[in-house]
Amino acid sequence: MTAVSSPAPKETSAKKEPHWVMVIDLQKCIGCDTCTVSCKAENRTPPGISYNVVMEMEIGEFPNTQKVNIPRPCMQCDNPACVAVCPVGATFKGENGIVDIDHDVCIGCRYCIAACPYGARSFDFGENYAEMIDYEQVQAPEYGVEHGPRTKGAAPIGTVRKCTFCFHRINRGEEPACVETCIGDARYFGDLNDPDSVVAKLAASPRAFRLKEELGTEPRVIYLK
Amino acid sequence: MTALTPSTGARPVTRTLWYLVLALLLGAGGYAIILRMIGGLSTTNLTSTTPWGAWVAFYIYFVGLSAGAFLLSSLIYVFGMTRFEKVGRMALLAALVSMIVALVFIGLDLGRMDRALTPMIRFNWLSPLAWEVRFYVIYIALLAVELWFSVRADLVRRSATSKLAKFLAFGTKVADEAKDHHWLQILGTIGIPIAIFGVHGGTGTIFAVVKARGLWFGPLAPIVFIVSALVSGTALLTLFYVIRQKARRMEVDGAMVSELGKLLAGFLVVDLGLVFYEFLIPALSMNPHEAEVIHTMTSGPYSWSFWFLQLAIGMIAPAIILLTRLRNSWVMTTLAAAMVVIGIVGVRFNIVVPALIPPLLPGLPRGQYFPTWIEWLSSGGVIAMGLLLFSIAAEILPLDWTERNGGTLDDHAA
Repeated sequence: MTAVSSPAPKETSAKKEPHWVMVIDLQKCIGCDTCTVSCKAENRTPPGISYNVVMEMEIGEFPNTQKVNIPRPCMQCDNPACVAVCPVGATFKGENGIVDIDHDVCIGCRYCIAACPYGARSFDFGENYAEMIDYEQVQAPEYGVEHGPRTKGAAPIGTVRKCTFCFHRINRGEEPACVETCIGDARYFGDLNDPDSVVAKLAASPRAFRLKEELGTEPRVIYLK
Repeated sequence: MTALTPSTGARPVTRTLWYLVLALLLGAGGYAIILRMIGGLSTTNLTSTTPWGAWVAFYIYFVGLSAGAFLLSSLIYVFGMTRFEKVGRMALLAALVSMIVALVFIGLDLGRMDRALTPMIRFNWLSPLAWEVRFYVIYIALLAVELWFSVRADLVRRSATSKLAKFLAFGTKVADEAKDHHWLQILGTIGIPIAIFGVHGGTGTIFAVVKARGLWFGPLAPIVFIVSALVSGTALLTLFYVIRQKARRMEVDGAMVSELGKLLAGFLVVDLGLVFYEFLIPALSMNPHEAEVIHTMTSGPYSWSFWFLQLAIGMIAPAIILLTRLRNSWVMTTLAAAMVVIGIVGVRFNIVVPALIPPLLPGLPRGQYFPTWIEWLSSGGVIAMGLLLFSIAAEILPLDWTERNGGTLDDHAA
């Protein structure tokens, strides 16, 4: 298995966008779901929508079983199937490589949800908002865009949502919430274009793999098995 | 309305009952649609795991009926199969109405209905759906113009007695069927590739490009869509023709119904062959991705819709009728057509839903979907809207070729 076929770094201008990637070491993941919880707290997602989940499964047959936890944020693919199918171009690959959704354009056809091979997208049905205390007073900085206070029927309700790699935090020079809060330090975030970065070194590990690599989506989330 | 409809001979009670049933369905459907508008998509049983359901299934169902009906009309107007010309105008009307119904369904399915026109302004050339929206609009315009040309001469003839006909003739004073026929031929010829590749093949492409989902992905889907469109469109016209004749207490042309039955049999056999391969190849490939979808379809909680609705009612029973001596009776042929029209609903649901059930990754939740009563009632209402549009148009427009006072298309084409 090839580790990560990173796009050939172009030796051109000094001011180059970083190639953000996330590395998740499955040997360190204990399946505590802190990432899921901190993601919900950070992004104020309503009940029913989780940008990050931890897929917990038991493999093998008793008694030779093994627990595997695979955290799944959005893969921020370099060849995103979701972006290709969007009829209105509401979802697109941003300059920083993050797959962005413009909630003011999305028509809610959900084609991208059907097309995403990782189940990383959720439709915001507008349900259960009231269960969130003071939900109308908080703002969720989706992709760094302030949509103002959440109101009934307004974006992002009725549109498709997903993990943003904590776009707003990256802009502030911080790591995504799931990376920062991971109690086992299983998650790493950084610039793959920087050969000295931790992520670049981990991505070169023989343990590195990506989900459904055969589909050619070129995910930016790299797992260490 | 009676003044405009010299050809209708429906008993007042039949007509009243028909419109009453439609009004009831429209009322109930309208109520459901209002609830959907207020509550958004949370009034459906759709989830982020199974994001498409009944409305998408009905949308592809009606796109299929439309493409099929139109292609049948082109057999008449482009390829000169005059033996079907009694249903030619009806085919164009049915195609137009079905397409409008399909668009209402997909509009109802949008999370942001207020942005329904955004796809007309913004474009993503990689998205089959973006292309489809444009093809649908071109296709609807083409159908409307072609329908007009097909009835224009009779509208002109009626102009003396009917103001509406005079208006609908849009200033045409002389009935010139040869010219109209020429136009029908041109428009039909342009329409064939649009209907095949643009409208229904394209709708199949929406599903065929999704590599994430078993049974959708692959080059066969668009072809299956086109063939099943021909099946459903032919069946719909056979059924509509017979019902319309009976409702108006007019004679059914049994010979033509049998001919339509033969055509339907041919399409059905090709469709069965495609379905055979559509299941055989994924099943033999042992690809778990595909096998899970087949498993969901054939033994899941709604497998009855596959075995009973899709296969038994939609394909096997009509094929038995149409391929044996039973087809000599136009009543049986009509029954087969009715079964196909109902059975294809199962086909459409089984295209959309089962592929969205298996978890995309082990550890993700499994989907589960059955429409809510709001989804059913609103669907009933939208279909009733289509039937109402068709009925009113059929009462106003000269849909019967016999009104031409004798003569066939051939005479004029010559």
